[in-house]
Amino acid sequence: MAVTAPNQPTRPGLGAQIWDLMTTSDHKKVGMIYLVTSFVMFGVAGILAVLIRVQLHGPEQKFLVGETYNQVLTLHGATMLFYFIIPAGLNGFGNFLVPLMLGERDVALPRVNSFAAWLFVFSAVVIYTSLFFGGAPDVGWTFYYPLSKVQGPGTDFFMVGVLLLGLSSLLGSANFAATVYNLRARGMGLWKMPIFVWSVFATSMLSLFALAGITAASLTVLLSRKLDLTLFNAGIGGDPVLYQQFFWFYSHPAVYIMLLPYLGIAAEVASTFARKPVFGYRFMVFALVGIAVVGFLVWAHHMFTVGESLLFQLVFVFFTVLVAIPTGVKIFNLLGTLWGGQLEFKTPLLFVMGFMFNFLLGGITGVMLAVVPFDYQVQDSYFVVAHFHNVLMAGSGFLAFAGLYYWWPKITGRMYPEFWGKIHFWLFLVGYLVTFMPQYVLGFLGMPRRYYTYPDGLYLWNQLNFTSTIGAFILALGGIAWVIAVLESFRQNVKAPDNPWGGYTLEWATTSPPPSYNFAVNFPRVFKSERPLYDWEKEGLKPTPVSVADIHLPAPTVWPFMTAVGLLISGVGLALPWTVGNSLNGWLVVGILTFIYSLFRWALRPEYDQPVEHHTVTGKSNAWVGMAWFIVSEIALFGILIAGYLYLRLAGHATPPVERPALWLALLNTFFLVSSSFTVHYAHHDLRTNKFSPFRLGLLISIILGGIFFLFQIYEFANFLQHVNYQQQLWANAFLMIVGLHGAHVVIGGTGLSLAYAQGLAGKINNHEQGTLEGASMYWHLVDAVWLFIVCIFYIW
Amino acid sequence: MLQRSVGLIITLILGMALAATGGQAGGHSLDILDSKASAYNQEVGHLLRWVLGFAAVVFVVVTGAMTYITLKFRRTGKETGEPAQFHGNDRLEVMWTIIPTIIVFIIFGLTANSMFKLDKPSPGAMTVDVKGWRYFWDYNYPEYGIRNSGELIVPVGKPLILNVTSGDVIHSYRITSMVGTQDAIPGLINHIRVTPEKVGDYYGQCAELCGPSHANMRFRVKVVPQEVFDKFIAEAKAYQAPIPTDPTLVKGEILFKANCAACHAIKGVSQGAPNYPDLTFFGSRTTVGSGMWENKSPYLENWIKNSPGVKPGSLMPAFPQLSDSDVKTIAAYLLSHKLEGLDFNFPNSQKY
Repeated sequence: MAVTAPNQPTRPGLGAQIWDLMTTSDHKKVGMIYLVTSFVMFGVAGILAVLIRVQLHGPEQKFLVGETYNQVLTLHGATMLFYFIIPAGLNGFGNFLVPLMLGERDVALPRVNSFAAWLFVFSAVVIYTSLFFGGAPDVGWTFYYPLSKVQGPGTDFFMVGVLLLGLSSLLGSANFAATVYNLRARGMGLWKMPIFVWSVFATSMLSLFALAGITAASLTVLLSRKLDLTLFNAGIGGDPVLYQQFFWFYSHPAVYIMLLPYLGIAAEVASTFARKPVFGYRFMVFALVGIAVVGFLVWAHHMFTVGESLLFQLVFVFFTVLVAIPTGVKIFNLLGTLWGGQLEFKTPLLFVMGFMFNFLLGGITGVMLAVVPFDYQVQDSYFVVAHFHNVLMAGSGFLAFAGLYYWWPKITGRMYPEFWGKIHFWLFLVGYLVTFMPQYVLGFLGMPRRYYTYPDGLYLWNQLNFTSTIGAFILALGGIAWVIAVLESFRQNVKAPDNPWGGYTLEWATTSPPPSYNFAVNFPRVFKSERPLYDWEKEGLKPTPVSVADIHLPAPTVWPFMTAVGLLISGVGLALPWTVGNSLNGWLVVGILTFIYSLFRWALRPEYDQPVEHHTVTGKSNAWVGMAWFIVSEIALFGILIAGYLYLRLAGHATPPVERPALWLALLNTFFLVSSSFTVHYAHHDLRTNKFSPFRLGLLISIILGGIFFLFQIYEFANFLQHVNYQQQLWANAFLMIVGLHGAHVVIGGTGLSLAYAQGLAGKINNHEQGTLEGASMYWHLVDAVWLFIVCIFYIW
Repeated sequence: MLQRSVGLIITLILGMALAATGGQAGGHSLDILDSKASAYNQEVGHLLRWVLGFAAVVFVVVTGAMTYITLKFRRTGKETGEPAQFHGNDRLEVMWTIIPTIIVFIIFGLTANSMFKLDKPSPGAMTVDVKGWRYFWDYNYPEYGIRNSGELIVPVGKPLILNVTSGDVIHSYRITSMVGTQDAIPGLINHIRVTPEKVGDYYGQCAELCGPSHANMRFRVKVVPQEVFDKFIAEAKAYQAPIPTDPTLVKGEILFKANCAACHAIKGVSQGAPNYPDLTFFGSRTTVGSGMWENKSPYLENWIKNSPGVKPGSLMPAFPQLSDSDVKTIAAYLLSHKLEGLDFNFPNSQKY
């Protein structure tokens, strides 16, 4: 699409706007999808929190009892974490701002990005759909096995929703990693990127490595519910604690996924409103990366009471207290940034100050929780509740609002009313303290979390709970002030200038809101620091205008959206009982067909209407870099499950049955799969040298070899299941789960190759534009490598 | 529901909603740092003093700096030019990395030291097997061959090893004012080592979400003098359900056998099942419904009539088919099973 008039004179109708969102791949609109969803979800989950506090305002209340309370509790936690605090900073602000800050037109993989955004929205729809099919999940956002195995059907929807969300999150993170890696304004080195971009980059890495944990956790729970396929069943030697290892392997790093982007926001806001550069830029980046690395080594501090050995616990105590150091550095450097500045206490800076105070409390109580003997006493108590709300709600949450007010003029093109912003801040701060300070005391007085009721007459419980509920209502008033601020901003309609706060980074170098092409200029290629606008002004450098007519953007297409719709429908089908009578349920049939059809339509729709030259920093294509990052997480997924299997095997719990799957069959299959890797390789080679018929033939042979592999595997499974009752045999569970997951990857990889084959038949790919092939062939090699490993640990050993 | 919530919101705003409704057994003063209850709590109290000391220093430094910055560097509008554009200060940054490092290493050392100390095996300890079920706790004294459900009775001053596990989902065993928590996990046994040092009635709770009645999975630990404990053991070992002579109790036993005996054991009357509470010497319990209500007839009757109604998700079915007088009879029959001369009720001043 060639860009036409920059500002359209008439507003398009609602239908046209929705169609635009469905077909867009503009990172700003994608960012809006995330931002609107996550802030709306914050409202929803906030109301749920108020309901919780209403139930707990006094002893023995009957407002939300038992299962109902647990449903509200689960939805509150899951919504706040998965649909507000993780996506708002990383995907919302990240998508809107990272390309702008990098001086680029879009992210590396714009269509994958819009697919991920819709999948994110639909995963929430799947979880909330459970309300119409037998009730919301009631197992806590942590869905511990075996509780999550025995509770009602809401948990199925929750598991499927989390799986879809995980996929969305992976694609989103791979896209960010590729964007930062590959797309930066010419001259902008990694060490000249704004801190916020660094924080998004570090977070994406973290999430690519960690997400496999929650995929493994939700997949294994779903399989245990649907097929009784599980590694955790203590009745046959499985280990319920293994589930928690999987879960926290993601969910602790996720705490930093919930924090790092916001620390980036804090640094940007502090620097702008102090009129100074950030203090200790390099230290701040090191601290970000340090938190990301150490954040991986602390997951078991959620599990001090599960009975692990003393040494195991000590290791995790060590890393837990260690992570306090880079976190402290972030706070000190923020203070350093503000020191000596000319501070303008507008709403964003107020939220940053509020964050610092609250996060300090959260940090201190966090170190207290690392003191294991004390942790034993307050494990799962209100002390913990107060602690994590302190870091998440009053920490990251405050910074989410700092970011919202800071970039509101840029995003909406309107100023917000400062008065209502400040009212919002003060109500949130006071409400927060009144709600959660009593909860710390309740922790010392022994109140466990996730209780829907408590008896009368426990010392001070009534008074403290009542105070906490008053605080929740003050927070709710703060929420109302926020809504008023938003409505007033639209009503007053004060047009925002390009750079209302005198910001230093490139997003302020375009109009508010930015046009679809972001910038119609070429920036100077000199980046002295992370503040290009400041430096260029000092040195008198100016961007040179380029003609808008020469800018080409990706063409709009509805197929990424429809592909996500296919997954939405299949997701509901996956959560419901899989079969009706003898056939698959209708949701699955319609969903899978929609998915496959849309995916092929998407693959056959070229990204641009006319050939476009792509500049990338690394010289590798965006698809290549994106897939490389994606594969990291696939390896992690197999790594986690295989580690679980190895543990069970070495501990002597999982021993192979006498009738094992035959080695000769596995070796034959290895031959097919390895050969297909070669044929894919040569097909790719042929494409690069523009030999189209051998390319198509090679690809077709690879797909057929993959198909043969898959059919043999089905035969093998059927054969195996005739001899072994897997519900009584732990090794069989591990075998079916991991080898089956590999089989699923063969199907996914085969689909990828088929997309490339279809593109080849339609003549849509060539040496220059390699379509799906680059990614698909890399993925196919991965599938191959994993198989070799599986042969060793399941067939030979 | 709507009416109710509107009502609640109004009372909340008026600040008059502290009235309780149900009459559940409370009255405990919980304090996780009660240093008289156990050496464990003393150790934690000692550790926390260090941590809080460091915390106070960090808190004062940071909030002090924040206050100073807010007052000193607030924009007045009279500034000329821009503030000094410094990009950092290496010496300062190294300093505020190293000082916290020293602090966290000290905290780590202290924590490790305490962990080793608390992990030491205690010679001459008494073992009790603790098993969590939805929603009650079951106790076995392997050394004495005694089973007791709902309430744990232990002697003061004697080291204990509690072997904690679960029969269904994950629970977590917390004697709130006495010692730290350990999870009750199916297939695994976790140990709690503690020596109770103060006689009293301790409030216990489940600390891991285990289903709709997670909040109702309470229990009591009765720490009694050694001689009381010895008497308890002697009587419990020898206990046989008396053969009823009173016509009410005779009828009670018939009703019990017809309605309750498939699940509940009473030594000498029924086998019951291991995954439901044992009701031998039930009359000596102080609470009913897993620590929920005082063990008195009206509460017990409500419980028998409609257990899931008063405790959501309770696995015991409601008995609508039983008449009120039948329920009364069963309650009387259950309460008649007592250990003689033993009373495990404590005054409020001894409830922790």
